[in-house]
Formats: sequence, structure tokens, C-alpha cells
Amino acid sequence: MIACLLIPGFELRAVLAGREELRERPLALEPLPNSENVIGPVTAKAAEAGVRPGMRLGEALAVCPGLCLLEPDPARVEAEWEHLLRRLEDVGISVEPEEPGCLYFETRHVERLYRGLEQVLERALLAVGPFWEPCLGAAARRFAALAAASVARGGQALIVPERETEEFLAPLPIELLPLPAPERERLHELGVRTIGQLTVIPGGAAGERLGKEVRRAWELARGGSAARVQGRVPASEIAESIVFPEAVANELTLRRTFSVLVERLLARPERGGRFVRSLALSARLAGGGSWRRKTTLRQPSAERGRISAALSSKLAEIPSPVLELGLELETLAEETGEQLQLAAGGELEAKLAQGLKQVRTSTGSGSVCSVVEVAPWSRIPEARALLVPRDE
Amino acid sequence: MSSMARVASVEGGDRHPYATSQGRARALNAPRAALVETNAAGVPVFINRQQVALVREEWRVVDRWWTEEPVYRRYFDCVLVGGQAVVVFHDAVRGGWFGQKA
Repeated sequence: MIACLLIPGFELRAVLAGREELRERPLALEPLPNSENVIGPVTAKAAEAGVRPGMRLGEALAVCPGLCLLEPDPARVEAEWEHLLRRLEDVGISVEPEEPGCLYFETRHVERLYRGLEQVLERALLAVGPFWEPCLGAAARRFAALAAASVARGGQALIVPERETEEFLAPLPIELLPLPAPERERLHELGVRTIGQLTVIPGGAAGERLGKEVRRAWELARGGSAARVQGRVPASEIAESIVFPEAVANELTLRRTFSVLVERLLARPERGGRFVRSLALSARLAGGGSWRRKTTLRQPSAERGRISAALSSKLAEIPSPVLELGLELETLAEETGEQLQLAAGGELEAKLAQGLKQVRTSTGSGSVCSVVEVAPWSRIPEARALLVPRDE
Repeated sequence: MSSMARVASVEGGDRHPYATSQGRARALNAPRAALVETNAAGVPVFINRQQVALVREEWRVVDRWWTEEPVYRRYFDCVLVGGQAVVVFHDAVRGGWFGQKA
């Protein structure tokens, strides 16, 4: 079965980790810089007062004058999420993270290890820990698992047997489907309020009259894709940081610090001479928030100059003075050197393979495809060739 | 008299007969939904709101009639007023218009 682990308001919980006393207050995450003026996740106390995530800041403060705003901390969110993923991987669960606060995993790989599905789900909840109040859902298909997790209470798991999937999804509201607001409103106007009511519309009609977004939602409403979960390759744990005695805003100082970080990272023995494929630069800011940028190099490299050229320009994007600057090697290549050839040939293929790996690392699985001719003689154009993802 | 039709894209919708069990492989040159206005004879007059200047060729593809997914298509190779060459077909099974590189 496919299991979905959901942690509602993960970004806020990550900021509150270690500051439990704040959880009892009406809190919300501040709007992100350069974005719409809407608040992020809110605590239960704020929700009781009528504040909802995604509300305009002015409206939220009018509804709850005592509302406290916390600055988003993306670096901390990323770090907490990575810790959580590693805790699950430590108990043998191969995870496919969707976004911070949502991940999928296959239970069948570990069912024999833990002697049953329920035991696997219990182990996963235990590995995540009660602080995060994770909601777990298990079903034969992804969307059904996500819906089950959305319905489950914090710290509990809900299993939906395959034959009951349709019955389970039918009474759930269409708000669970990833639909843009206008499409959702149109469905409401048509009297479609539950997933079951959407599935009775013929798929072709849903697509023709209401657009492809609704068609996609219609497919999800019938359980969604049964595609297998693809566990991630665990990120490397090579990271370095420098804490400043006082906040630094001078770009020259930051650049010099960055060079030191690159040197330290490249000298780490855990790297084992392997080339760097992608890195993440992060900063803890004077205001209490944080900043983080990830970059995939055009070509794997262990040259200080190349890495600096790829990332040092990002330093200018840091929005406020920095208290701590960190650099993390996220993905390493397998090779430890680049063997040049005396005779031409083969080099082009190697470079092409490297280039494809880089594209795959930066854009994700399934982004590189081969064209495979299956029936070039066919009179039906789309039956002549297939695009097959190359993940190896 | 003219008629206008829009159909849903087959991408992500109906399953391609050659798709793998995980549904990860996808058809190359899959048909895309097209907005086509026709005359009484069923010949395109407007394609995606652009007027058709010339219908260069017309042909039919009838295939797989022995399966549960038969193919009955009427293809038109058209030139639009702007000079763009477009191939569209009417799918008699699905009842809609699609564009495709023939």
C-alpha cells in the first residue's frame, strides 16, 4: 500500500520547535517577502479566534487583535524536514518527499520487517514523534492515501482498504482536491460539493465543460494514480557554517566567509574526493528569520572557483544582515575525477551522460526521456513512438 | 451553418495503449485539443480562432476497428490565413477535434 504522512502547518511547527510555551498563544506565520500579503499556517489558538491560513494580514488582525506574527524561517524548516526524513529512513522506510509537511512511502517494503501494515504505520508515527502530530493515511492509490491522511487525527493512522476506496472518498468535500479557486466555485455553483458527486459526472464531459483542471481532479476523485512511490536518494550530511560575533551586511565580508566555507567543505574527508553536484547556501538573519538557496552546478565539480562562481552571486540576494552563514553539499557525484582522453571518441558520450545527470538532478525524476519507436509503420501518429523516462 | 467544438486533451486522460504498467511512458506526438469551427460539410473554417485559407489535403484513418478502442479519424491538412500549416482531425469515436503533427 501507499502511505501518506501529513503534518499540517509544518512551517509554523518547525519555527515553534523548542519553544513549546508559544504554542498556547494565537500565532501565525508572517507573509513571505515579495508575495501576496496573506498569512501562513496558524496555531490552534488562532484558529479558535477565527484566523485561517491564507487570510489577508489586515483581516486576520481585525479578527484577532492579539494575534502574534512569527517570521518565516525557511532554513529551519528545511533542516527540521531533513531530520524528520532521516528519522524515517533510519527505521528502514524509503520516503518520497512531496513538500515540507507531506511525504509518501511504500509500506510493502517494510511490512515483513515489522510484521504487518499497522505495525509499519505505528513505527512511522513513532519515528516522526508526537510533537509534530503527524496524520498518516494508507491506501492503494496516492490520492486516496492523501485524503486518508487529511481525515486522520494528529498522531493517528487511517487505513483505507482498496475495495472501499470509492466509498471512502465519496462523502469527502471537494476542497481536498487540488483545484484552483474559480474551478472550485464553478463546481459549487453546479451543486457539486463532495468527491462522490464529482465522480458521477462522465470524465469526458468534466474535461470538455469545466476544463482540464477539473478533469485532473476528476481522475484524482476516482482514486488517482497507482504509480509506485520512488524513494529519494538520501542527501549527504556534509555541511559547514560560520557564526559571526555580530550581524554582517557587508557583501565583501560575506564573500570571503563564503570562500572559507567552500574550502572547508571541499577539505572534508567524507566527500572522499567526489565531485559536487548540488549545494545549498543558507543564512540565519539578524531579524530572527532565515534564508536559503539551492543550486545545481552546470557540471559536477570540486573546483573552488566554479563553485564560488555558481553561488557567490546569491549572496547579494540575502535580505538582511547575517548572523550565521552555512553551506551544505546536497548531492555528490559518483566520480572522483575527470579522465581526459588522448584519442577522441567516447568523451562526447560521457559528457552527454554527465549533462543528463545534471538536468535530472536539477529538474527531478522523469525529466529526461528517450524516444522509443514502437510501431513506426502505424497509421496512428501517436502510436509510432513513446517517450520513456531515463532515470538510470 | 457552422458548428463549433472543443474537446478535452487526451494527455493525462485516456490511457495510451502502449503505456507502461506504471503509466510513466507517454506517447510522443499525442493529439492536443483544438477549437475548430466547420462548415456544413464538416470542413474546418476556423482553427483556434484563426481563419483557414486553404485545405491542402483530406484523408481518413480507420484502424483498430476490431478492438475496444477503434480509431475513426478525418484528417485535414490546412493552411491558416497567417501562413501557418496545421493538421487537425475530427475523432468520430470521442466526438471532438484535435491537432496533431501527421
